[in-house]
Amino acid sequence: MDDYAIGVLTNIGLFSFLALSAYLLLVAGEMSFGQQAFFGVGAYAGGILTALYGWPLPLAALAAMALGALAQFLVGLPTLRLRGLYFAMATLAAAEMFRILFELFHWRVERNGELAGPDGTQGFRGIRWIFEHGIEPVHYLILVYALLAVILLLLVWVERSRLGAVLRGVGLDPELAASVGIDVQKAKLGVAAAAGALAALGGVLYAHHNTYIEPRNFDIMLGVHSLAYALIGGLGTAFGPLLGVLLDIGVLEGTRFFHGYRMIVFGGLVAVLLVFRPRGLLDERMVLWIRRRFS
Amino acid sequence: MLADLIQNSLDGVTAGAAYALFALGFTLIFGVLRRANLAYGPAIMFGCYAATWTHLNFGAGLLLLAVITIAGGVLAGAYVERLCFAPHRGGSAIAAMVASFALWMQFEELATIVMPRHLYAFPALYDGPPLELGPFTLRIDGLVMLATAIAACALLWWILYRSRFGLAVRAVIEQPAAASLAGINVPWVLVRVFALASALGGVAGYLVVASHGQITPMLGMWSTLKGLLAMMLGGLGSLPGAVLGGLALGLIEAHSQWFFGPQWRDLIAYLLLFVLLAARVPWMTTRSAS
Amino acid sequence: MSLLGVQDVVTAYGKIEALKGVSLDVAQGSITCLLGPNGAGKTTLMMSIAGILKPKRGRIVFEGQNIAGTPPHAIVAKGVALVPENRLVFPAMTALENLQAGAYQRADRKTVGEDIERLFTRFPRLKERAGQQAGTLSGGEQQMLAVARALMSRPKLLLMDEPSLGLAPLVVEEIFRIVTELHKDGVSIFLVEQNAHMALKVAQHFYLMEQGKVTFSGNPGSLAEDEVIRRAYLGSAQA
Repeated sequence: MDDYAIGVLTNIGLFSFLALSAYLLLVAGEMSFGQQAFFGVGAYAGGILTALYGWPLPLAALAAMALGALAQFLVGLPTLRLRGLYFAMATLAAAEMFRILFELFHWRVERNGELAGPDGTQGFRGIRWIFEHGIEPVHYLILVYALLAVILLLLVWVERSRLGAVLRGVGLDPELAASVGIDVQKAKLGVAAAAGALAALGGVLYAHHNTYIEPRNFDIMLGVHSLAYALIGGLGTAFGPLLGVLLDIGVLEGTRFFHGYRMIVFGGLVAVLLVFRPRGLLDERMVLWIRRRFS
Repeated sequence: MLADLIQNSLDGVTAGAAYALFALGFTLIFGVLRRANLAYGPAIMFGCYAATWTHLNFGAGLLLLAVITIAGGVLAGAYVERLCFAPHRGGSAIAAMVASFALWMQFEELATIVMPRHLYAFPALYDGPPLELGPFTLRIDGLVMLATAIAACALLWWILYRSRFGLAVRAVIEQPAAASLAGINVPWVLVRVFALASALGGVAGYLVVASHGQITPMLGMWSTLKGLLAMMLGGLGSLPGAVLGGLALGLIEAHSQWFFGPQWRDLIAYLLLFVLLAARVPWMTTRSAS
Repeated sequence: MSLLGVQDVVTAYGKIEALKGVSLDVAQGSITCLLGPNGAGKTTLMMSIAGILKPKRGRIVFEGQNIAGTPPHAIVAKGVALVPENRLVFPAMTALENLQAGAYQRADRKTVGEDIERLFTRFPRLKERAGQQAGTLSGGEQQMLAVARALMSRPKLLLMDEPSLGLAPLVVEEIFRIVTELHKDGVSIFLVEQNAHMALKVAQHFYLMEQGKVTFSGNPGSLAEDEVIRRAYLGSAQA
């Protein structure tokens, strides 16, 4: 497999974490314009731990996930009581604040005789843990997908459980859920923490794949894309967001067919598809149909 | 010190006038649809780029460029309305808003394809020296922006409260189900409100670009963010609030920038919005947002 | 002669059929009344006739034309106006502006002005409150305003969905007095009511609706009143 294909596939995997993070909140009934912030938190945290303090990647990833979960939890605490556009705008404001904080963030430490670490708008270079440990691109690809598979299994298992039904209920009709005794606020906060952790995991893997990150990477466009992936792929199953990422990065970018027109085609595709399938390609009805067909 | 405060306030109010115009457009659309049009700024950018392209290839006077900007904005706005909002009326708000994101992506890429350079010069509105009022300076284009914003508000007020169309718009905003029962063709009202909001945005966009003398593809995101921020600060769904929110945003930015620098300027604005939302300040969170 | 004929109308919300094949007739120049328990589908039927909802199947024939699925503003143009449940006045507009909104489709300002004057004469309380915001009016006044607004389009058929809802008994009497007056002026009225007692006093014909279907059709007196009331509130035993 050539390097380009490996790169594209890896990117699909990385952004799937981000798309899943947006998806979780959408299923819980909230539209977040800000998952890119927690992607960034994971990227910076993971990068700092491995590049500046020599932590092994797995440990750094766990720490990054915890930080991402905490960050999203803290943002969610005062805002999840808000509905619809108000919540969305709050996440937008929070995400932009994070991005600006990344721009103001300098953490320069001496490593091997040189200054290394995040340097505000100049970015953070030298996140080379996987190269320093001789991990080939194809191995990294397998690692990313192995992690993705674990997450997907977990999510599918939750979806089929009572917890999954509760969360979906909270998303579709919070008043009804509250009337049967579900603590809607607590449920949403739990989902938010999970979403933050997922986004951060994607971020830490992204940082190590690219070896260089800068605040501009985590702008609103990234958040907009992750929402689009989640919704267009379908809200019926955790595989939905993956489909969304696949459509954009896989088909459009990977085939190089629409080179230069990718966003025009993808954007048009999303808008048109949503007219016919407002809850995405793999929406709840489609998933039910698939389950019936194959059971 | 006081002189700086006043000068910054003057600058803030003129910048805020542009934000107010964007916010008015957002609010009009939100008022009748209960949804945010995230392709609003990019559609305005489309109009501005159309004007830039015309100027580059044919040369054009200020008035013609303004007309093209507005017409382009209205055209792009109609495209957004048909594809993102008409199909989801009564349906999923999230689908409509994400669809408008998708069109935002389209507009941005289109701009970079047709006009690949990051920056293009745009004929300046006024080339001469700024107005001196004692120790204070006031840019002429800033004055034009202020005057235009005031005129736009007056026009909007007249349309809403003295015209038949305005009555229909208010009916749709206040009680959409009853509006159609009163014989109002609601979809047609929505199309016209979109056109009005796009035209307002086009005017604002033109003035912004002509004041700066340049245009970049960031205009779409920039005008969207400012418009959204101003709309939220002034209280979602309120037209007077949009104006006040825009002016307030301009003032906050001007003073923040003076004391803390450009990055803190944006940070403070976002922080303020976040805090106000989190505190669920009543004037900001009373309108239902689907 | 039948002014409005509902023929086997099925209206659904997604997969759930609220109207399962409703058929009834409103005779020209009559007051026809529709009774039934909550959830029977009465409002759904009104909204289907007014064009807010589109029936899945069936026909709604008004003056010989099938209007099922026609958009609401077009139905107003044909001469059918609905006074909706919960009145739905335009709260921030003045009472006068509410009336002007009701006349939206009419081009002739002069006759609109005359109609407004006439309605103010019929509803003197509204005239007092002409410049007041409609949201600040009392329940009874809002109901009158909603009726007046609907009348501004000079309908041939006036649909009324639960006009007595939430109103004090004296006000309810006033509303029904207005209904009889309108009827005398030649407006045909199709009225949904929870207050079966008052409705039967004014109607020439009534229907009972339960669980999406019409279960009884007759004149007041063809069924003992307490039987009607029982079925209107509770439904019949077999349903």
